[in-house]
Amino acid sequence: MASAPREVSLTFTQNLESAFSSVQVTGANGARVDQGKPQISGNTMRVSLKSLSPGAYRVRWQALSVDTHKTEGSFTFTVGGR
Amino acid sequence: MLRSSSCSLAFALALLFVALSAAEAFAHCFVGPRFFPATLATDDPCVADEMSLPTVAWSKTGDVPAATEWDISVELSKRITEDFGITVGDIWSNIHQPGGFTKAGFGNLDTTLQYQLLKDGPHELALLLGLVVEWGGTGAVDSGLATLWSTLTPTFYFGKGFGDLPDSFGWLRAFAVTGQIGYQFPTRSFDVDTDSFIPQVLVYGASIQYSMPYLKSEIHDYQLPDFINHLFPIVEMQLSTPVANNFGNSPITTGTINPGVIWAGTYFQVGAEAVFPVNHASGTGVGFLGQLHLYLDDMFPTTIGRPLLGGSSAPPQQLKFFGETCENSSFRHCCLRRLAASPRMPTLCLIAPVLQWGVPWRARRARFR
Repeated sequence: MASAPREVSLTFTQNLESAFSSVQVTGANGARVDQGKPQISGNTMRVSLKSLSPGAYRVRWQALSVDTHKTEGSFTFTVGGR
Repeated sequence: MLRSSSCSLAFALALLFVALSAAEAFAHCFVGPRFFPATLATDDPCVADEMSLPTVAWSKTGDVPAATEWDISVELSKRITEDFGITVGDIWSNIHQPGGFTKAGFGNLDTTLQYQLLKDGPHELALLLGLVVEWGGTGAVDSGLATLWSTLTPTFYFGKGFGDLPDSFGWLRAFAVTGQIGYQFPTRSFDVDTDSFIPQVLVYGASIQYSMPYLKSEIHDYQLPDFINHLFPIVEMQLSTPVANNFGNSPITTGTINPGVIWAGTYFQVGAEAVFPVNHASGTGVGFLGQLHLYLDDMFPTTIGRPLLGGSSAPPQQLKFFGETCENSSFRHCCLRRLAASPRMPTLCLIAPVLQWGVPWRARRARFR
């Protein structure tokens, strides 16, 4: 049974400008665990994840809306063992 | 000038307030997303912990030949409770007439009690009641710069931002107006020294101001230089009209119209205005008014920047000039709360993050912090 998420999905209040929106997921050692360039469709940004081992991870995003408003932020999540 | 200020007593009170302050901080004149800066010639519509140190004015009187007048004033405002405050002020003046007299000295000490009637955030409306008392005999009476009698001036203040106009008004929504009107009663009706009546006077003023911070944060960010985004172009007007007990005196209205600009930072603001007399009785030529104004509530939020009694129900609020990053808690708190407060503000917020385990996704063994 899988215990780690395969993807992070971020939904915003406005449609995003794909060229200037990004998301990075890092582990406790700072190494990237996402698969790279996110998929952006409308107001949703998705990024696939590598296989995650138990531990804490941080999701950091930067987003630019099509009407040029910016936002950024981060949150953490924890993947537990069985 | 409607506003004036104090020195020694102000500092003594400041020390007292440091010793007595025990409540929480709440910043100066915010009404919803609207920030009303401290105006120079009139008063803003809020009680606050703030200090004008100094306000400097230069002008020429309407005398023939015109005398040159310098005024330097200090004013300290302190909240007793969140909605009730006191202001103490005084002014020092130097008037020189070429080839004639020179006189200098302090005006009468003045105090103002103010009570916040209303702060309506969604409508950006603030209402304030005040009682201004100029204490007779506390200034340079012999020089003619102060009077032996006192005056009492019940005053009503208001401030209204136009951010609640329809979105179609666009950049016009950054405009705001403030104003005040008071009725001045002297404690004497007749001056035996000059053999003249002492009139009751209607004292009133207003400002129209444009908030560049509001334009950037609430309407549209035009990517203007940072300095520009701190500015409040403003035009103030202050007038007084004798309305009663004015037998034998001139009934004429006097006052000035002051175009200028205020630069507001997080902890202080600096303002400068040109002073245009409305008629010859109000002065001659173009004068100058400048002020450094300190936001004590933001400078000293744990000491003199708090109400003396009762604390505050709201956290300190500082003027924001840059896109709020909403770091960490943005999606649930900062950004969405800001959006809820200003529904028409086209803020970009993260609604919700979702971790997906495949299709269908399941929220399992993962938690957000």
